[in-house]
Amino acid sequence: MLAIELVAQGLIQGSIYALVALGLTLVYGLLRILHVAHAALFTLGGYVGVLVCNASGSLALGFLIAALVAGFGGVAMFRLAYQPLLSKPPYVALIASIGLFIASEEAFRIIFGAQGMSFTNPALQQQLVLGWGLQFKLAEILVMVSTASIIGVLAWLQARTRIGIACQATVSDPQMAQSFGISLLKVRDINFFVGSALAGFAGVWVALLNNLVEPTMGSVPSYKALAIIVLGGLGSVPGTLAAALLLGVIEAFGTIYLGDILDRNAIAFAFLIAVLMVRPQGLFARS
Amino acid sequence: MKFRTARFSLMTVAAAVALSTSPAWAQLKMGFNVPLTGFAAADGKSALDGAKLAVEQANAKGGVAGQKIELVVYDDQAVAKEAVPSATKMVDRDKVVVAVSGSYSGSTRAAASIFQNAKIPYVVAYAIHPDITLAGDYMFRVSSMGEVQGRGGAKLVQNLGKKRTVLITVKNDFGQALAAGFRDAAPKLGINIVNEYEYAMPDRQFGALVSKVKSDNPEVIYASGYFFNAGPLVSQLRAAGITVPIIGQEGYDSDKFIEIAGPASEGTLITTSLDRDSTEPATRAFLADYRKATNAGADMVAASSYTAVSVAIEGLRKTGGKGGAALRDAIAAGSYDTPIGKLVFNDLNEVKKDIQVQIVKDKAFRRHSVISDPVLLAPPTKAK
Repeated sequence: MLAIELVAQGLIQGSIYALVALGLTLVYGLLRILHVAHAALFTLGGYVGVLVCNASGSLALGFLIAALVAGFGGVAMFRLAYQPLLSKPPYVALIASIGLFIASEEAFRIIFGAQGMSFTNPALQQQLVLGWGLQFKLAEILVMVSTASIIGVLAWLQARTRIGIACQATVSDPQMAQSFGISLLKVRDINFFVGSALAGFAGVWVALLNNLVEPTMGSVPSYKALAIIVLGGLGSVPGTLAAALLLGVIEAFGTIYLGDILDRNAIAFAFLIAVLMVRPQGLFARS
Repeated sequence: MKFRTARFSLMTVAAAVALSTSPAWAQLKMGFNVPLTGFAAADGKSALDGAKLAVEQANAKGGVAGQKIELVVYDDQAVAKEAVPSATKMVDRDKVVVAVSGSYSGSTRAAASIFQNAKIPYVVAYAIHPDITLAGDYMFRVSSMGEVQGRGGAKLVQNLGKKRTVLITVKNDFGQALAAGFRDAAPKLGINIVNEYEYAMPDRQFGALVSKVKSDNPEVIYASGYFFNAGPLVSQLRAAGITVPIIGQEGYDSDKFIEIAGPASEGTLITTSLDRDSTEPATRAFLADYRKATNAGADMVAASSYTAVSVAIEGLRKTGGKGGAALRDAIAAGSYDTPIGKLVFNDLNEVKKDIQVQIVKDKAFRRHSVISDPVLLAPPTKAK
């Protein structure tokens, strides 16, 4: 019974990781930039979700606006910070990204206060008793359901629509894609928008699960998501998904059974090192 | 390196602001290290508000020996590497006569030896690590040490008539000191610790841990942490259907805890030093003045910082503004009527006081009981 609960808790956590890491892997696939500031958009989404929901009373509106604001925030980061640096070596963009991330944490603190914010009437807190002693918050179940459906829709769009195929083409060979008339800038904008919107969406979920958003809430996801995309084989979308869920479950068991020797937040990296020793290309990369 | 320079420049800006806003005629400088940025910034704000209130009140009454007191504020981010340069600057550049810690154990421990070597009395508000007062005779602490609070927690479990306890501990000086005290007292009080868990400071999601605690089937949970951990933790424990009493400590002591955990916070017990339902005039006056000054309810951090600054000012009054050994002896000899109780220092400059147990009732901390056990709650004394 405990094992089932731990798997379920792992999948809940893994869903959040998946939403955050997906944007990161899209950016890496496209531009070879380690986009640390991605986690700032996750935090931004959390704040916007709480603010909108508290003001309007509608959680759905909170999710929608949070995803939009984070999405446009991501596009702005790309246009203002990364695009001018694309001709420079990748570490220059990485430095810019870390700077952006630290600056955003402090900006959140200055604008919204150090105390963090909470929902005045947190939604989806109902208890679902599933029998055999299993009991979850409605929000916990919906995190998994919504993550699975959103990612399903995105996968379909990427495989079936013109713009989705253009994205794939740009990832595999930007110059060739461009010569076929694909606008690189447009594809990159869309990628940043979608990836960042997912992070913002995840931010609202975490805000709901903890009933707390704080300036520093992105600090753990910022580095853990990097470990996840490396595990997933840098730039591979299905690999990232699998790695995120797997890490969620490993952490759930690790917290309980390895807690004495290994910090929960170190498990991701211990696992990463173990995997890279056996498969340097990541768990799910093709070659 | 990137981190350091960014944070460091922020710190200097904060310090510069603090220096520039203080009045030109201020003469008696009191150093104050407090986390204004970083993970502990929320507590830092309460601490600074409490400290400012004490200084304003003293200055409104004419200051000390005709001199106004100036609070020299440094942001230490509650980390040791920021506390050392701050303390050094207070000593060498600002030439403070006395210093107060409104910060956590990590940074306070690091600053302690610097003040001790400079023979500047350092009054610690709410950092609970034992090493702080062991740094020397210029160190004072107005709150109960972690171990003492942990023993108080065990006593509360006994008072509730419970035995099977699960310990959930935040992995830092604060949590580990509490757990050590609890473990130490548990066998004497017939308490059985069924299981122990630790979590890291940044953790907010406790799903796995909660599942395991549920399978341990305890009668009571003794969980340390700060309101930003404890709010989500208590809410997640309740969401999983765990209904047994949860005992927290000073770290929970903020209205923010109740806001985060919402209805799940009802019935949570905490051992702390501020009694909201106190009838003591010093406590009542502080609660009212703090609300007037900040438009917010006071918490333990604010009350302790107010107390630490007041103790330092009281000492300065006795020496007529002189520092050094005279001030050390004056502070050590005094007895103080403060919002967190009547305080007298022992030979290790620790205070002996009752532990206030508060319970969350109708979205507010109210009095539950007072733990008064002079033997169990005795602070450590100087090693003989």
